[in-house]
Amino acid sequence: MAIKTITGVRIAGLATAVPEEKVNAASSGSRFGEEDAQKTARSIGVTERHVAASEVCSSDLCYTAATRLLEELDWSRDSIDTLIFVTQTPDYVLPATSCVLHARLGLGAGCGAFDVNQGCSGYVYGLWLAASLIAGGGSGRILLLVGDTVTKLTSPDDRSVAMLFGDAGTATALERTGDSAQMFYELGTDGSGSEHLIIPAGGFRQRHTQTTAVPIKGVDGNVRNAEQIRMNGGEIFAFTLAKVPRMVESVLQAANWQRDEVDSFVFHQANRFMLQHLMKKMQVSLDRTPMSLDQYGNTSSASIPLTMSHVLSERLRREEMKLLLAGFGVGLSWAGVALRCGPIVAPAVMYVGTEAANSSKR
Amino acid sequence: MDELLELEPGTVQPDDLLEGHGWSSLSVVGFMAFADEHFGVVVAPAKLTKCETANDLAALLDGKVS
Repeated sequence: MAIKTITGVRIAGLATAVPEEKVNAASSGSRFGEEDAQKTARSIGVTERHVAASEVCSSDLCYTAATRLLEELDWSRDSIDTLIFVTQTPDYVLPATSCVLHARLGLGAGCGAFDVNQGCSGYVYGLWLAASLIAGGGSGRILLLVGDTVTKLTSPDDRSVAMLFGDAGTATALERTGDSAQMFYELGTDGSGSEHLIIPAGGFRQRHTQTTAVPIKGVDGNVRNAEQIRMNGGEIFAFTLAKVPRMVESVLQAANWQRDEVDSFVFHQANRFMLQHLMKKMQVSLDRTPMSLDQYGNTSSASIPLTMSHVLSERLRREEMKLLLAGFGVGLSWAGVALRCGPIVAPAVMYVGTEAANSSKR
Repeated sequence: MDELLELEPGTVQPDDLLEGHGWSSLSVVGFMAFADEHFGVVVAPAKLTKCETANDLAALLDGKVS
């Protein structure tokens, strides 16, 4: 697979917001049994997760992060000429949530805005898209919002997902720069595996009906309805083993970096067991692999920037870091990048209550 | 097998049904990691979920490794 090299773009800042409401792993004990819940929590590595209230959307979390970011950057709203929102949990079927966010954020009329449907690989996709637009002359300053509220899509009785996911929204600012710093991207897709992580109904292939909302027991023994996430963990793991180490290797080679030169490898926070196995396989040391999974769970598209905000924000404010970011999952889709980042605007993770919900929503 | 399922060594017998020992989707992933780490093979999850006993798992690995 070919490396895409992009020159002359910098990340100027990054902010993350999560719901203040926390759910502890032990609270699943009543549903799955104390022992099983503990065993699951140990393996997936999720002690607690932040879960959005029903009225709080992905866009609300991203809005909070973006407002803070723009304030700290001191960017004029009119200087942003593209708004990209990467999510699989938009506010509406239509319009694009980016248009709603555009108005809430008070961006100028000359600003393009659109949504991108990607999950686990979505942050790296968003960076690649934004950086390409800027490097190609299509844009000067981009606000990239990436977030999901996947907890709204999981069945509480499905032990393969119920204790895994958390919610988060992030905002990243990118702009053109005169210096010659390069980003090295690799992206890939295997749609033949799309059924392994899917919500089959509620879209346009299988519309919502009374039947699609009825919980039924699947072949894996878990109870869920057709409008909730169905995940085949084994297949996702197999694909990850086949694609991710190779991708990481080729991005490292393109950047001409040795493993020990990389300050941090930030991986999509799939689950701890999988990540630890991957690290071992790729010979990447755990102390260079920041994690946020234990406190926030798997936050889908937001997991990479959330991990950066949670673990690296202080260092990113101070100095330049060599980062390798890698996302992989739903699609099936994967994307990795080696880039230099910092010093940038990087506030600590923000915690927001229901006041964050869009009050003008209809 | 016992380690994977967090059981006392010697608990799982070759012909025991895995289901009775708490075999789950996490065990599937755990077994795949074990096979990858020790034998360098990726076991197909679809075949793995069809395994009913420890013997079936061993046979699956045999087919892959040899």
